[in-house]
Amino acid sequence: MLPPHTVGGREAAAAERDVAAAGAGPVAAECSRCAVPGPAAPRPARPRHPPPRQSLDFWRLLYALLKQIHGGKWSESDAIDNQIRFVKSAFWYHGYGRPELYQLPSDGSAGSRELLLAFSWLLHRLSLLEQLLARNRVKTGDETSVCTCEDDLPNSQKGTTKIAPEYGLEDRVDVRYLQWLNGRLRFQWRSLHAQHQEQCKLLHKIHLFTSGSHMDQILGHFSVTETDLIRQPENYKQLLQLLESETMQLEAFLEWKQLEPVYWQWMETVLDNMAEEGNTCKSQDTHVEKKGLPKATSCCPWADSLIGQIDRLSRDLMTLHEQLHDLVTHRKAAWCEKVKTREELQKEWFSAIARKAQESVELKLLDLAHLCAPEKKKKHGSCRLVFRSKHPASKTGSGRSISKESVSAVSATEVIRELQMREASLEKELKQLQEECRQRLGEIAEGLDGVICISP
Amino acid sequence: MFSGSSTCGQPQRRVREIKPHLCSDPEEAAVTRSCEDGVAAALAAALREVAERRRELEQRAARSRALLGRWGSEEEEQPQPEAGSSSGHENRPSLQELEALELLNRALEKALKVRKSIRKSQLEAQGAAGEKPVDEGPAPKNAQEQQVPVSVEDVPVTTKVRSISRKPASLKKTSPYKLRAPYRTDPDVKRTQRKAPDRCVSQGPRTAGKSSSKGMACKQGSSRRTTSSARDREARAAAEPQKTSALSRSALDEQQSFSIGDSAGGKNSVAAGKWLLEAGKKSCGSLGESSKKDHPTAEVALGRSTSPRTVTLQEKGCQLKLPLPYRQAYSRNSRAWERCHLCQTSADAAAARNRFIERIQTTFCSPMPAFSPAEIEKELMVLQDVPSLLSQDVEAEPADHPTLQREYESLLTLEGLQTTVSQCLHKLQLLRAAVESQMRLRPDCTGDLRSCSPACVPPMGQTCDSAGMLAVPLLCYSSFQELRDLFALKLQVSVLHQEIALQKVMMAELLPVLESRLYPEASAAQLYRAIYTQLCEGGRRFPVLVRDELAD
Repeated sequence: MLPPHTVGGREAAAAERDVAAAGAGPVAAECSRCAVPGPAAPRPARPRHPPPRQSLDFWRLLYALLKQIHGGKWSESDAIDNQIRFVKSAFWYHGYGRPELYQLPSDGSAGSRELLLAFSWLLHRLSLLEQLLARNRVKTGDETSVCTCEDDLPNSQKGTTKIAPEYGLEDRVDVRYLQWLNGRLRFQWRSLHAQHQEQCKLLHKIHLFTSGSHMDQILGHFSVTETDLIRQPENYKQLLQLLESETMQLEAFLEWKQLEPVYWQWMETVLDNMAEEGNTCKSQDTHVEKKGLPKATSCCPWADSLIGQIDRLSRDLMTLHEQLHDLVTHRKAAWCEKVKTREELQKEWFSAIARKAQESVELKLLDLAHLCAPEKKKKHGSCRLVFRSKHPASKTGSGRSISKESVSAVSATEVIRELQMREASLEKELKQLQEECRQRLGEIAEGLDGVICISP
Repeated sequence: MFSGSSTCGQPQRRVREIKPHLCSDPEEAAVTRSCEDGVAAALAAALREVAERRRELEQRAARSRALLGRWGSEEEEQPQPEAGSSSGHENRPSLQELEALELLNRALEKALKVRKSIRKSQLEAQGAAGEKPVDEGPAPKNAQEQQVPVSVEDVPVTTKVRSISRKPASLKKTSPYKLRAPYRTDPDVKRTQRKAPDRCVSQGPRTAGKSSSKGMACKQGSSRRTTSSARDREARAAAEPQKTSALSRSALDEQQSFSIGDSAGGKNSVAAGKWLLEAGKKSCGSLGESSKKDHPTAEVALGRSTSPRTVTLQEKGCQLKLPLPYRQAYSRNSRAWERCHLCQTSADAAAARNRFIERIQTTFCSPMPAFSPAEIEKELMVLQDVPSLLSQDVEAEPADHPTLQREYESLLTLEGLQTTVSQCLHKLQLLRAAVESQMRLRPDCTGDLRSCSPACVPPMGQTCDSAGMLAVPLLCYSSFQELRDLFALKLQVSVLHQEIALQKVMMAELLPVLESRLYPEASAAQLYRAIYTQLCEGGRRFPVLVRDELAD
């Protein structure tokens, strides 16, 4: 099981093969199993010069894993160079800085050791295995997402699609058509709202009626799936199988945890080997490459949208800053006025007052600091909805549960509060946009002769 | 249009309002622009997405409804008709819809004439009794203001909805469901109870439940059901009037968006009419069916239960047991999760891993930017809500203080906020620099950058508790109202995202049209008004355009 030490490149490759069978076996197997929920990585079509098997497979494995993390659509038919490009950009996204990876050829013909290093880095950086397990968790409950991350994605799918409107060949569009579409959209949203509310009612009823029946006391009641399972067990054979296979995956994960020290030691030796070899050929090429590639920042929609966001936030904060500056100066002046007239009292109560005031203000601002800092453990992903009434008996709730540490419960109140904050800032943004439109339209109105516009 | 025919009744007014042309010539009133694919395509895409979500939700709801009904009966589940989805797939109003809307417009005109005459007599009869505060408002105003703000629009539109409601009401009589006794047709009572029809969705859920059923502009008889005392019925009916009220609210919206103003006789703006009728029919059908489903105990009481073996969740819910194989699989599974969660990384492994990571990081390109792209996005996500939060805090500080201590505290708070703002600004600068330096390092990935977006990547790095990911994620709610608020807010956030995106697309496409003056001069005013409505009022309210003419 111990990785043999190697000297030359070929032996390193040989070592890899051995290791791939032995050391990386559990890891790769684990990852492949995690990758199973999606379509399996396809076997590559044989190109003219068949590249070493490991590299290609490794690229595909990384593609499969990263696609799961990034939630994108799995395109089996993606050519290897698209997959490689995706993997490289994903590594860049997560901050991997080893240039050798990005220089690997895009037919997947070389670089299994680089990929191994990158993979190990990713394993640690993303807690890859834990994340995959958590993401692919078999969902037996009423799942709902706790964050708004899907909505926050830079929505490049809107408005830039190539789908032509069903207008056909006319390229003049009536604004009333747009109004009609808009009205329909709003209607659909409202219907969706009504549907959601009805679904809430149904869910709540099911939760209420089945309270106390679940063998898992933490949950306390059945979900829709479980209730349906009781009603029609024959429909849910697949669910059972998924549960079983997940249990096996979890056991494989526990095995991996046993092997972990070995794995990391082995990775260090790989690094050593590469450092030895690499010293001879590491040249100024990398520097040339970096400077020689003119990356036009403007052609990247990702950067554009981020910079747009940053600019918008900066603008908002700048206005706030100025406003605060004025306010503080004003208040300070007033305060100093007030205090001057009471000079004799200044020394004594001032320190007491100051201390108390500072404490209370610190508490207030501490909350704020927490909100502004990203270490806040925001819950992500989908959670199982559980009804827990504020019953005195179950207030201690977690007290009589099986193991309260293995449960991370978020309360709906917190989520609601966060959502309210999001809603407020989004509404503000929308109103700013509308205000901007109003100004521009006001200017235009002056150009329309003989017409006065009175806004509602 | 409903007010297009009357002339100026107040001689002292110097202005005469712009009326939309009763479109005999669509070209004239039609506002044109070349290639508005952007907006139309964006709207179409949004419609498709919403329709998809509705379909999925409907499936889940159907399953839940089946669970709440009678078990053990062999009848197949009746397919739930999806109210309003019949029109969900077309992006053009059909000819029947156009005709139907034409009919409805005429009916509305007639109704308005009737209303005017009624109102005059009522005004004389009742004087200034506050019974119809809403009505009094527009009464003195001239009815020729066809572009009216929403509070006034409530009233004229009422009549339209009532005229429709006569039709589904008659259809309803055929369904087995009986109208409840307190059903009333007094329009005045309805009107005073009603809230403004286009209340934002976010306010909707907070007044949901009782008040929504009572407060909605739901003219159909279902609104009356909820005033009955039986809790069952209320719970059950609460869902139904929401469907119909959603429809009728939408009817109001549809009216606002195109019957008033531009669409007079326009071919392509008649969508709501026919489709609303169809939807009305369907919802009545579904009301009938779902009332059967949700009220099994009543059926038993009425002696119509078929087989004694059928059982409802309500009766047996707490005695149910999951089947044994599932129970075993489940408990094995949850034990495995627990073990994984509690399993710690051994010290050796951690040490070896950290050594490896340190070493590999030394081989990275030497001036690595301060933030990785993932971190940049994460930080930005956190900072998004900060400005509005901080400005709320600033506004929360009162101007006057009772004691000196309070005043001092307030001053300190403001200074603290100022520091926070500066820190955030500084961080934004750092992030901007990081974006630019990351762009230089970016590998060649043309066009596939969508896939680089986070899709919910949880916090990472040493601060992240990797084992914490393995804990069972639960979201606990403590009351029905909380659940509803949660879902309503989630939807509202999602809707706001879309609205903002659409707003940006529309701004980019529509404003240049006006600015460049590439439209036929005759339709300038309509175009302006339409664009103003869309961009500045979210399509809900219309500005009043008055022609500046001196009285002769």
